[in-house]
Amino acid sequence: MTDAGLPTSEHLEHLDTDTIADLIENLLPAPEAHRAREHVKACPDCQQTYDALLQLTEDLADEGRTDIPMPADVAEHLNAVIASESVLRASTVGVHSLVQLREEPHRHLPKLLLAAAAVVVVAGAGVVGVVLATADHSTDGAAGIGSPTSVPSITTEQVGPDAQRWLEGAKGPILHGEAAEIDCARQFATTQPDSELQLVQPATVDGKRSTVIGLPGGSAGDVKVFVVTGCSGSGGPATPFYDTTVTLRNR
Amino acid sequence: MTSDITRIGPPPSPGAGPVPPQGYEAMDDHELLRLHVAGNPDTFGYLVKRHRDRMWAVAIRTLGEPEEAADALQEAFISAFRRADSFRGDAKVTTWLHRIVVNACLDRIRRRQVRAADPLPEDEDRAAELAGPAEDDPAEVRERRLDVLNALKQINVDQRSALVLVDMEGYSIEEAAAILGCAPGTVKSRCARGRAKLLPLLRHWQTTRGGSADDVPAKARQTAPTAAATSSGTGGTE
Ligand SMILES: [Zn+2]
Repeated sequence: MTDAGLPTSEHLEHLDTDTIADLIENLLPAPEAHRAREHVKACPDCQQTYDALLQLTEDLADEGRTDIPMPADVAEHLNAVIASESVLRASTVGVHSLVQLREEPHRHLPKLLLAAAAVVVVAGAGVVGVVLATADHSTDGAAGIGSPTSVPSITTEQVGPDAQRWLEGAKGPILHGEAAEIDCARQFATTQPDSELQLVQPATVDGKRSTVIGLPGGSAGDVKVFVVTGCSGSGGPATPFYDTTVTLRNR
Repeated sequence: MTSDITRIGPPPSPGAGPVPPQGYEAMDDHELLRLHVAGNPDTFGYLVKRHRDRMWAVAIRTLGEPEEAADALQEAFISAFRRADSFRGDAKVTTWLHRIVVNACLDRIRRRQVRAADPLPEDEDRAAELAGPAEDDPAEVRERRLDVLNALKQINVDQRSALVLVDMEGYSIEEAAAILGCAPGTVKSRCARGRAKLLPLLRHWQTTRGGSADDVPAKARQTAPTAAATSSGTGGTE
């Protein structure tokens, strides 16, 4: 290419690759473009670079048409994220439609939203007066959080009901877990409208080591419950992958 | 259980009701997205599965780092999930998704630039993994893919984004300018300078084109991606 050879005449002073690339894109001012074009015609080296640049564009286009298989772990994580996004949407739809459901019991709701809607039924249990079979999930009234360091294993569907029971069974905020985990939750809380921690509970949620964090919700008795990863071990930052809102009946 | 629950639970729904999985596989993108907007909890997942390799290619080429690419794609797909109702039916779903992914990647680049230049650590194993599972593609395809990814990582992000959009993804200069938020002339200039920088990094492609690559032992060529730029590209001999 540009081997900086001694110019034997001004025409044979090689063009650098940038100039040739600019020439191809018509970026050179007219007089310079003319000189460059003449040079490329006369100089095999620069002609070769010129051709190589055109070929490169074609090769890049070919390569661009091929897909790259997403690594399995990335794909798996993405699936989980999309799945929890679906659950989140379902529970949000559920919250908004609770009243409608009662007034309009045949309202069209996709079948698979059922499970998530059930979570919301518990959240609104003070109104509806239904207690779900969530006792199946835990062995006692302490709802699997007997000691400050125990790590209950639950699913996202259980997060709302369980958090509600934990909080209703306590006099004040529950802050469980190692100091670093609680600190991480505190950090996360600062990103939310109301950062006063109501609940920090280490848990395995859908198989992922997570932290359940509760913060004051929009209205009295409401607690916004987040499930985040990243607070155990690595010390943050917290990455939420699920959230729901519960209404405490005794606040 | 309490009978209240069965009373409150929604009835089986007619429209977005259970469709056998092969039914979703067979549906076109528009139909999957329409059902998603209607509240079907599964169809978006099928869309993701169908297009994730294409979108991964865009993200990994633009961002260079697998972790960043994974994060950008996650953001992009969540964003697409949430604003699927803004999709205009006359466009192709892939065009729409593609654009969201590109924007998510560019957002990350901008944020990274704001955060200052802390170079991310190299990860050789990860890089090899990115070329895809060994059984999926022929060795030359994987090797070439890795060469391009490595070469793209070595040019500056502005030139890289422009080149990926225009040369690799086939956007016009005007479209790329709109996406990147700069003048068409700037896009042209970034592309030209990017090609000039890539050329020495990928020149061995052109010298091994047309069959001579078969003569080089696979092992010797595996070490070549960056070294080949400085050597003659005919492969090392011990
Ligand atoms: Zn010359």
